Amino acid sequence: MAGFEYVRPTTLEGAVAELTARGDGALAVAGATDLWVNIRSGKVKPEAVVSLRGIAGLDALTPEFADRAGGAAAGPGGDARVSGGLTIGAMTPHGKVEDSLWVAAHFPALQQGCAGLGSRQVRNVGTVGGNICNAAPCADSATALMLFDATLVIQGPAGRRELPLGEFFVGPGMTRLLSGEVLKEIRVPDPGAHTFSRYIKHTRRRGVELAMMSVGVRVTLEDDLTTVKTARISLGVCAPTPTCAVRAQDMLAGKPLTRAAVEAAALVAADDSKVRDSWRGKAWYRREMIRVLVPRAVEQSGAYAATERVA
Amino acid sequence: MAGMEKNIHFIVNGDPVSALVAPDWTLLRALRDGVGLTGTKEGCGAGECGACTVLVDGTAVNSCLFPALEAEGRSITTVEGLAQPDGSLHPLQRSFIDYGAVQCGFCTPGMLMSSKALLDQNPDPTEHQIKVALAGNLCRCTGYTQIVEAVQAAAAEMNGGAAAAGNGTGAATSAASAATGGTAHAGVTGGVDQPGHAAHGSPSAEVSA
Repeated sequence: MAGFEYVRPTTLEGAVAELTARGDGALAVAGATDLWVNIRSGKVKPEAVVSLRGIAGLDALTPEFADRAGGAAAGPGGDARVSGGLTIGAMTPHGKVEDSLWVAAHFPALQQGCAGLGSRQVRNVGTVGGNICNAAPCADSATALMLFDATLVIQGPAGRRELPLGEFFVGPGMTRLLSGEVLKEIRVPDPGAHTFSRYIKHTRRRGVELAMMSVGVRVTLEDDLTTVKTARISLGVCAPTPTCAVRAQDMLAGKPLTRAAVEAAALVAADDSKVRDSWRGKAWYRREMIRVLVPRAVEQSGAYAATERVA
Repeated sequence: MAGMEKNIHFIVNGDPVSALVAPDWTLLRALRDGVGLTGTKEGCGAGECGACTVLVDGTAVNSCLFPALEAEGRSITTVEGLAQPDGSLHPLQRSFIDYGAVQCGFCTPGMLMSSKALLDQNPDPTEHQIKVALAGNLCRCTGYTQIVEAVQAAAAEMNGGAAAAGNGTGAATSAASAATGGTAHAGVTGGVDQPGHAAHGSPSAEVSA
């Protein structure tokens, strides 16, 4: 193995400066669970590795509280405050999200996405920010975060900028991150009351597996608990990047949530997908599973149960 | 590359140690080649098999993917740190021996460390939670049933329940060697011959969502 320089800055600005000074030969590394495999196999030969682990405070999971009028459910443990948004430090390991009762209660699809990734050992180290910046088509945390209209906060030589997660991916392993830029945090806005979500990772075995494909759904209902205010359908491994099925989402918005409507939207999501054959699964099968898993995910999200309580 | 080595200082099993490591060294290599603790095994070297599992500040990690330089100032627990200084075994180690959860022994240090991380966080796990916690630890002998049983029994014992009756095997000595991180081959034995050894594929195949 060729040698490389290992740099361990203690501030975000320092990391940006180290990366900028070294140019394209330098790689930023978060949990290293992907990069170290590639370094050890010789697939990646960096001149320098800039570790982000020494930067304090990048691994915080910070809920924000919404000031919402009555009707909203209390938080975990009888917490009377209601969930608003959530800020996830880029260096937050998946295991921390997995273990968060707050995330499980208010952003279940995100908890499910993070809990289903790799093994516990990998989740203890591998970070949400790393999963996003690695830009694999099967990135579980990224696909789940797409449901919640997450925004990325990026620190670079020119300062700080924000970019919607949905615009971040360019292709497999390719992002809009510029030279010298580092992902600082992921901001998840308040999805609003009456929000239901579910992430289903479709795999051949039930653990330590990359997704053959995955489906996330999020439904936010109006106060009438019948009309869809916002619908999101995110897909993993159904295109070169994690994507949202925009046309299918739009079909659901503003209309009553019914199984027939969701099945019709699932068909459109399947038709619009850019699935392809790979050794983990065939295109036709992936397309078929979108049609199957979108309705299943809505069912398991509990959204129908909410509408039925009103009916 | 010469000149890039650094001396790292960290705590291993309660003792402060230092090791000279290169930037491309993993924690696994630092422990085995730097500190001389060879109980932690290298299996796949790619974070898939869990044989190299150690605890870093109490959480289970694959030491084969953990950059050695990131161990600076951290507290590491390896399989050698499970037993008491007087040599008395950790309940998990005793339970692994009693339940025949040690066959060739190569996965055992990693299994023990993942189990310890689980019980430290969740002293009374369900069978499902044990399987999830151990999904990243592969046993090529496929003795998963005994391993899950051993963790359940150790949890029961540590929670103050009646000491689980072991079904002692004739292989206690060699199994004990593997359960304490001794040379793997010393643990290879034909003496462990119990019912319930049906192949299970990978442990993850058993994990239900």
